[in-house]
Amino acid sequence: MRQFFPVEDLARDERFVQTNMAERLADTRDPMEPESKRKSAKSRSASNRLTPDRPDASDRARSLMHGIMVGEIQALEGAGRTAHDFEAGDGSGDTIPFELKLDMARQAWDEARHVEISAKLGDWMGTELGEFQENTVLFEAACSNDPVLRLAGVNRALEGLAIDVFTQMKEFGDMAGDPYLEFCEDWMLADEVTHVKMGSDWLRKVTEKDPDRRTKALEFQQVVDKLFSFGGARGDHEESSFKLARRFRELAGFTDDENDTINKLGVDAFNERNQAIKQAQEAAAAFADA
Amino acid sequence: MGDTTSTSDAASPSGATAESTARAPFAPWDRRDLPGMFSVAETARRVGNYKWTEMKLFEALGGWIATIPELDIKMRLGAHCYHHAWHADLWNQRLPELREMKPERLTVPANDAIVRFIEAMTEPEAPELTIEKLVGVYRVLIPHFISAYTYHRNNTSEITDAPTIRSINFILQDEFDDWRDGEMMLQSLITTPEHVQRAASHQAKLEAIMVEAGGITGPGSIGGASPDGS
Repeated sequence: MRQFFPVEDLARDERFVQTNMAERLADTRDPMEPESKRKSAKSRSASNRLTPDRPDASDRARSLMHGIMVGEIQALEGAGRTAHDFEAGDGSGDTIPFELKLDMARQAWDEARHVEISAKLGDWMGTELGEFQENTVLFEAACSNDPVLRLAGVNRALEGLAIDVFTQMKEFGDMAGDPYLEFCEDWMLADEVTHVKMGSDWLRKVTEKDPDRRTKALEFQQVVDKLFSFGGARGDHEESSFKLARRFRELAGFTDDENDTINKLGVDAFNERNQAIKQAQEAAAAFADA
Repeated sequence: MGDTTSTSDAASPSGATAESTARAPFAPWDRRDLPGMFSVAETARRVGNYKWTEMKLFEALGGWIATIPELDIKMRLGAHCYHHAWHADLWNQRLPELREMKPERLTVPANDAIVRFIEAMTEPEAPELTIEKLVGVYRVLIPHFISAYTYHRNNTSEITDAPTIRSINFILQDEFDDWRDGEMMLQSLITTPEHVQRAASHQAKLEAIMVEAGGITGPGSIGGASPDGS
């Protein structure tokens, strides 16, 4: 077995259709909305947040749950690879502490349960495996040859995002009168806080005497966080699809400054997107006038 | 503590004779024996071999998760990966109690053959080789773990080495459960004569290396064949 495993070789059965971040960003269609279900702008809710009163709530929730499930599969694979890819040692070079390997094995078990939970929830919501595309970005973040970058990209940035998403799904379950969904999301949320805290603690410990490595890791985390600001879809502002779950993030080791930075990334991306839309509209109007 | 009352005048203030609390140090149903087959050093050596092999096993299971297309098996391997990591952790904690203050010093394979066994077991990577991956773990390595742990538990001192026995009992429960899981996964995958041949051939290849190694802790992993069991 190879030491490092490329994202292109992730093993899936024939039901799964994969895409990567580059393809996803090049696709201008809304990935949350299947072509057949696309509705007029009039039928859409004014808010971006997932609430049961949206006309597209069912499809969005099903799509999101499928996205969670495939994300959990990749998180399982990523944790397993980190347990495998690095020898036990003092944390320098190609080694990681023995206890970090144990934590990664524990995370693999947790993620396996999350796949089980989200597969059952998807079934409960009427979704079939492979009904929506699988974006492999999470495993891409888990492919770095530096284990510290994996901790920053996966455990802090992406598992941090999972805290926000699960908090919203839990609220959605509550609002929709679905205690089954709320119950499961609450349990998964508890595990995610543990994983992010694990990432925060190990990142601090392993880079204790290597400030450059820590800076590089935190920069990588910001790149991943920016990638997942979804054009401003995540943040404290009302228009965001995913609100920052600040309380749970604090429990997981995020500082106020870090949460503010993630929020700012979302606001900047939101403004950039609005500016781009405005420019496109002006160009279209100029074209129509000409 | 500090009681100077004579054993002959143990009457309560009310005059009733107190019931004796004197008992034998071992209850009639407690048949544990003091002698054991392993010294502290030999126990530490075996525990170090267990830890090394459990580590190799959880690393292999973790690494294989991404290479296996069958979703149910992918998930089971995630759970089993943690079980073996926990076993490695139990042995890591036991080593300093056996006077090895640098556990990594004894975290070693029993011999070169066991290293070759792990290399051969972890060689299959392609997604169509799930049978070979599972055969190595569930039809060769885990059965050898079960026999080595059982031998150790049944031959060590039940009193002086009780902490090792306690760990082995927890571990054996996992090993039996995982063995059953793995065997059921294999039986669900082996559905043609060609599959049977693949499984048997891979098992024979790995078993031969394990025999050369003499088991997980080397020759004597499950005792000897001599009349006195040595």
